[in-house]
Amino acid sequence: MAHIPDGILSAPVLAAGMAVSLGGIGLGLRRLAPEAVPKAAVLSAVFFVASLVHLPAGFSSVHLILNGLMGIVLGLAAYPAIVVALLLQAMLFGFGGLVVLGVNAMNMALPALAVGMVFRAVWRPGCQRRTALLGAAAGGLAVALTAIMVAASLGLSGREFLPATNLVLLSYVPVMVVEAVFTAAAIGLIARVKPELLS
Amino acid sequence: MIRVFAIALLLLCTPAQAHKLKLFVTQEGGDMVGTAYFAGGGPAAQIEGTVIVDGVERARFRTDGEGNFRVTAPANATISVDGGDGHAASTNAVVAVDPPTNDIEAAVARQIRPLRLQIDAMEERARFSDIMGGIGTIFGLFGIAAWIAARRRGKQ
Repeated sequence: MAHIPDGILSAPVLAAGMAVSLGGIGLGLRRLAPEAVPKAAVLSAVFFVASLVHLPAGFSSVHLILNGLMGIVLGLAAYPAIVVALLLQAMLFGFGGLVVLGVNAMNMALPALAVGMVFRAVWRPGCQRRTALLGAAAGGLAVALTAIMVAASLGLSGREFLPATNLVLLSYVPVMVVEAVFTAAAIGLIARVKPELLS
Repeated sequence: MIRVFAIALLLLCTPAQAHKLKLFVTQEGGDMVGTAYFAGGGPAAQIEGTVIVDGVERARFRTDGEGNFRVTAPANATISVDGGDGHAASTNAVVAVDPPTNDIEAAVARQIRPLRLQIDAMEERARFSDIMGGIGTIFGLFGIAAWIAARRRGKQ
């Protein structure tokens, strides 16, 4: 799942995740304008709570991630916001481990940044249906990318890559659907009420 | 329209945490009896497990439809389960319980097992205070960030 616990990944993967995340935090904090701090705080809190909303998915169960929404609204600042929320999830709920925090943050934040960048490049204010469709695509794609990165982290740590990938991707299909709908609704609302948040 | 759909989808979800695999093992005679489950969620059905003694794999097993399993293992064995998708848990069976020495102790151990399982599961539940504490900490941290940013800007 998105929150990989301690003791599963190999040392090189852990080190790579840590390095990428340190870079991401630094870059994100430098780009975080003082005016954007409250926005980042609210979205970080939403991300923190969203993981408690869980969906039954056959053999396993999965939960909302909302990294697509964060990437769209926060841009690079999504990285530190996700790290803060993940740290507290690990400490208070036991979701994911502390040693793998770097990898978990990377798996969720990099898709957020990628999706956010594409959305900002493509989106134009105006057409509501286009906004909703873009939001849905962004929300679903961010989850799919996270699933692939989780599977890759497991694969690079010496687990059988294909079974793990199939399991992870399969269990993420319901999340992708829910996130697509949720992101479309949230982005649609933001585009109507406060479009300056998106550009 | 899409908002109605989103709310309907969210109402379908039950708030719970279910991405942590938990393992609960007790000893009954020469057997280890255990349950694998997702904290706050359902049982971990049909997943692979191993018995490791002194670093050597001794046996493999599969959980049944309710996440339960019974496997023959010595008291110093480490029991592990692995969902294959990044969920895994293991336990050192020694800490689970002292082996019962007579029938009465065995019966008591059997009777209190559900209770211990329940306590074990309760420890993992997300409490309201945890959630509120987390949200408060997030706003506090970003508040500090805003304060630092404001100071820096004031100096310039």
